[in-house]
Amino acid sequence: MIDLDHAATTPLDPRVREAMFELLGDPEAQGNPSSVHRGGQRARALVEQARRRVAAALGVEPLDVTFTSGGTESDALALLGAARALRAAGQPSAVLTSPIEHAAVLESTAQLAAEGHGRVFVAVDDRGRIGQDDLLEALDRHPEVGLVSLAAANHELGNHYPIPAFVAALRAHRPDLLIHCDAVQAFGKRAVDFSTWGVDLLSVSSHKIHGPKGAGALIQRKSLALAPLWRGTQERGRRGGTENPLALHGFGVAAELAGEELGERADRVAVLLVRLRSILAAIDGACIEGDPEYGSGRTTVMASFANCSGELLAINLDLEGIAVSTGAACSAGTLEPSRVLLALGHPRERAASALRFSIGHDNHPDHLDRLADVLPGLVERVRSAFR
Amino acid sequence: MRVVCAMSGGVDSSIAAALMVEAGHDVVGMTMALYDASGSQRKGRGGTCCSPAEIDLARWVCERLGIPHYTVDERERFQAEVIDDFVREYAAGRTPNPCARCNEHVKFGPLLARARALGAERLITGHYARIEGRPSVPELWRASDPSKDQSYFLFAMGRVALEHVEFPLGTWTKDLVRAKARAIGMPNADAPDSQELCFVPSGDHGDVIEARAAALGLDMTRFEPGELVDPHGTVLGEHRGIHRLTVGQRRGLAIAGDKPKYVLKVLPEQRRAVVGDVEALAIRELVVEDFRRMVELADHESIAASVQVRHRGAPSAAEIELDGSVARVRFVEPVRAVAPGQAAVVYAGDRVLGGGWIREALG
Repeated sequence: MIDLDHAATTPLDPRVREAMFELLGDPEAQGNPSSVHRGGQRARALVEQARRRVAAALGVEPLDVTFTSGGTESDALALLGAARALRAAGQPSAVLTSPIEHAAVLESTAQLAAEGHGRVFVAVDDRGRIGQDDLLEALDRHPEVGLVSLAAANHELGNHYPIPAFVAALRAHRPDLLIHCDAVQAFGKRAVDFSTWGVDLLSVSSHKIHGPKGAGALIQRKSLALAPLWRGTQERGRRGGTENPLALHGFGVAAELAGEELGERADRVAVLLVRLRSILAAIDGACIEGDPEYGSGRTTVMASFANCSGELLAINLDLEGIAVSTGAACSAGTLEPSRVLLALGHPRERAASALRFSIGHDNHPDHLDRLADVLPGLVERVRSAFR
Repeated sequence: MRVVCAMSGGVDSSIAAALMVEAGHDVVGMTMALYDASGSQRKGRGGTCCSPAEIDLARWVCERLGIPHYTVDERERFQAEVIDDFVREYAAGRTPNPCARCNEHVKFGPLLARARALGAERLITGHYARIEGRPSVPELWRASDPSKDQSYFLFAMGRVALEHVEFPLGTWTKDLVRAKARAIGMPNADAPDSQELCFVPSGDHGDVIEARAAALGLDMTRFEPGELVDPHGTVLGEHRGIHRLTVGQRRGLAIAGDKPKYVLKVLPEQRRAVVGDVEALAIRELVVEDFRRMVELADHESIAASVQVRHRGAPSAAEIELDGSVARVRFVEPVRAVAPGQAAVVYAGDRVLGGGWIREALG
């Protein structure tokens, strides 16, 4: 299978797999990290080693890292935890976010709205760009906002956002704001430095950086006290539940590799991305969606294909051994039109004609040659079946 | 040859797919999500065709067969073409046939187009019916096993679809299908046959109609209780709403008296149903609309054949006069209880000559 769906998940790095196998094979390492005996001590050491590795990759102290089950939980802990803590302290707790965030942020902020905190959407243009002035204007109009949540990279369009500049402008305007950044799609693709960016909260996930599923982290500023989603002694009281040393160990190794190899991976992907865009642009009736400015770290391209079903293209490509995605999948397992394109105000037909291609450093030029060979014919076949 | 197999999650389509895999074809499994089961109250046995649980089952079967499986969303089309039509037909005092509508508007239209878009040469379904006369002039025939025959529901699929569709179970019996399913370890080998309508999992279609009719903005007074009258207009009792009545129905009529009474006619404007004795159910003539020819037939033609007016009903000898898309059916012997809205399908032996929708049934 040719994997052009890295935004959904990434293949486990062989070195991560090796490290995890090694841990699984070590009977002395299977303890509960909270146990006092030596089995527990060994497991605890592994978890703390992983914490140091993740912290180093993001430019923070190990104590700033709270391990979670993944990106969705990190977002939920950040947003629910921060808004509830703000309210308890008698401070404004409404959230300012964008309408094209990942479902994890949209769902958690919807829950905040349902709990009466309030939710405000900043305007986005038809290419998914967010203007700094629009952010500030939204703050002026909504003094009830106490929390801002913006992704560093959009999961469908692939747009990357100037988070450090946003943060500086937001803070200059309202020094008391808490700022959360969902960096799940940016981590491992461009430098994500928590302290330079100046955010208060930052979510990352293991399986998007060639680590195992079931592990993620929320980075938080030291002085910040979040209301935990559920209580327990683990993770310094921030997140109850026995840690998963195996997944966290894999996450730690993957994070370390992502940090060490960031430059060469980004260079490799940048070349592939140019080729991918030219393949897509050459197709009759194709439109590359999202921000036309391609900065470094970009790994995802969404394209819509006029008069063509994205769902059937994705199925056709899968039958040819090429994995891509249409955007969202619904609970029934059907492929849905791109939610982001719909949120940008594009018609349903266009949103239903879109495919998301996302590449990684494990892709080869031959993968894109193969795509270039089959895609034009498949687009034509799908179109003619409905003519 | 690449084929797309429509998978409902049931044993029939699973075995149809298994047979295609065994024949060495490049099989792609596909399930249509047709409605949201989440909102409805599900009573009794859950799991009718294409509900989320059945979709999971179809996925599992494809995994076992080693073939890819995709679920496609046809909820909007199914709602508009099948469920809403069902509601409007009942509101008009008729008894609709949603399975035949679904075959025409969902299965053999959009699904066939999807199969073509995937480069498939054939669309495979688990229907019990045969296609004979390939490759020159394919015709729709009854299944070899008359007790499972589904050709009655298939008349509206159209002649073009016949060229691209295959029914591998047309010569099988249900017992054989189940035995085969057990032999190859299919998880649904002994699942009960679906009886009720897939989008009415509770079995009470009246509630489904009322809920949807309100959303469609139909005149809701039409579904209120009304009178049961005899053919002279004398009031004999009350009914709970015309959408809960069908011509020929005897059960559930609250009428005193020693002779059983049957629904003869539904009069939606008056919210009344005419009831009478069994003899009054005799129908001699039908007006059939939207008639589709499944074999070469002239615009104006008179044929002697047999006509079936309900699923599992015995065909009755008749003379059929075709006049464009209208067919007038005159039965040689009167037929009992024919409900407008049902399909009238014309057969010559096992061959399906065509069919249409019953608009009027005359005594």
